Amino acid sequence: MRRQVPLIFCFVFGIVMILTQFIPHSSSQSLYQEVIGWALIITPFALILSSLTLIQTHLTRIRRRVEHWQYSIFVFVGILGMVVIGIPFGPQNPVFEWLFNNIQVPMDATMFSLLAFFIASAAYRAFRARTFEASLLLITALLVMLGNVPVGDTIWNSLLSWLPWDNGTSHMKQWILDNPNLSARRGIILGVSLGAISQSIRILLGIERSYLGGGD
Amino acid sequence: MIKIIQCLAVCLVLCLSVSTGFSQVLPPPSNVTAVDTPNDDGSSITIKWDAAPADSGISGYQILRRLAGGGLEEVGELLPAGTTTYVDSTIEKGNAYAYIVRAVSETAATVESEETVPVSGSGEWFHTGKIPLFIAMIAFSIAVVMSIYQARSGEEVFIRRIPGLEAVDEAIGRATEMGRSILYVLGLGGVSGPATIASMNILGQVARRTADYETPLHVPCNDPIVMNVVREMVKTAYLNEGRPDSYSEENVFFLTDSQFAYAAGVDGIMLREKPAAIFLQGTFFAESLILAETGNSIGAIQIAGTDSEHQLPFFISACDYTLIGEELYTASAYLSKEPMLLGSIRGQDWGKVIIFATIVLGVILELAGVNWITTLLQRVS
Repeated sequence: MRRQVPLIFCFVFGIVMILTQFIPHSSSQSLYQEVIGWALIITPFALILSSLTLIQTHLTRIRRRVEHWQYSIFVFVGILGMVVIGIPFGPQNPVFEWLFNNIQVPMDATMFSLLAFFIASAAYRAFRARTFEASLLLITALLVMLGNVPVGDTIWNSLLSWLPWDNGTSHMKQWILDNPNLSARRGIILGVSLGAISQSIRILLGIERSYLGGGD
Repeated sequence: MIKIIQCLAVCLVLCLSVSTGFSQVLPPPSNVTAVDTPNDDGSSITIKWDAAPADSGISGYQILRRLAGGGLEEVGELLPAGTTTYVDSTIEKGNAYAYIVRAVSETAATVESEETVPVSGSGEWFHTGKIPLFIAMIAFSIAVVMSIYQARSGEEVFIRRIPGLEAVDEAIGRATEMGRSILYVLGLGGVSGPATIASMNILGQVARRTADYETPLHVPCNDPIVMNVVREMVKTAYLNEGRPDSYSEENVFFLTDSQFAYAAGVDGIMLREKPAAIFLQGTFFAESLILAETGNSIGAIQIAGTDSEHQLPFFISACDYTLIGEELYTASAYLSKEPMLLGSIRGQDWGKVIIFATIVLGVILELAGVNWITTLLQRVS
């Protein structure tokens, strides 16, 4: 029974929500909005539980003096600081905004900037021309990179000026992006869409139950 | 004196004739119709009229409407010349409105069309524009359900070998032998995202194995609801395997819902805990490579899977195995080997066969100058 009730709810609400996509009538759309509203109600409760988990995790880290436990103190300082200013004065408060713009945003930007270095190291591994496929990838990547910077066309127009085509690297880059790249992407998207529908059918029919913890 | 009067008379006649020549009579908008907008919830009325000739002098149109027994009121902004359709979404349901289209010239001269018959908006019970989509959905669902029932009757289903999923046991076994933990990252998707649900399905299978091997499993979550669902499903997986004592609630925890803070937090866990196996399954954005490269740097065996096609190259270059697109959705069936789940994958393949056949047929017909498939697909989209 404990397993049957969620499965029945899942089936009924799944079918109803699919049908609302084909019924434009106002009563159908009201029902859709109402159910979406119910789903939103869950969020605050889940957020409270999650915040408690976060506090519990870091309290345990401090209590057990695990490696780098000192960083957990900063978690509490951050939470307390933002809650003490944010809840009584609101998100428009200048101090709250200052903290967000001068701490959160630069830290996010720092993490994002690290991506450049990670791309370099990943590209180095991916572009090592050890096999035919890797060599093909290297050549294609070089063409696309050259097509993306003005110097690519300058090199083409200077060295290959005798050819009847100007700005060859830009054209090649665009051809690669519009044909082999786009075809592969669309193939993946089609597979993903069918996979998602197939998974939805399995869940609606109650065949896929792993999300309930597996088992029968 | 007489000559002066004659000259003035000639000038006056000339001025009048020139001004008459340049001043143009605006043609009123013709064939104005107002109909209830099809396939909506009854909250709008569509007004259409014929395009005016290019030299008509019309610089814009103003829509006017009249509620039964009321006065005329302007609706919306002045529409540019060349407009032939307007959707009035400001109507009140149940009221009937009559419409007039007023043509406006650059000199602010106006001329109005005839008033349409009053019309009211009513919601439809089926979106006729989505009939092909509905039929395709029903056909695909029938193919999947039939395949499931065929598989249930005992018919063997062949599934090609997926190296990324074959490696799941290897990764868990490696972590167990090394006495180190397993890190499972669900990505940034919410609980309603198909990729997150697929990832949770894989996690259910992974949790059953880690429960068996008593290998620590850490699941840092980005979404509060996902965390609560995941806690429940991992706990149930441990219970089902008869190892409730091995389950630790602390191991499934909320980190943050901020994208890069989450990436920083997971990177920190990787560097401190040094897990032997890392699963990156779900929806990922720019943080994908930050996570995968850090995992690579600590020498963990990494199995990634995502439906975000832009992140796939990053995972392929930084991870040991990558589940590409639909493989993510087949993972649960592949790992559990349940015939009914495997049957649905065959149905999915039938869908692909139909789409492939439609593409080939469409290309052939298009080359032959017949474009009804293209037109149909454009209408559906």
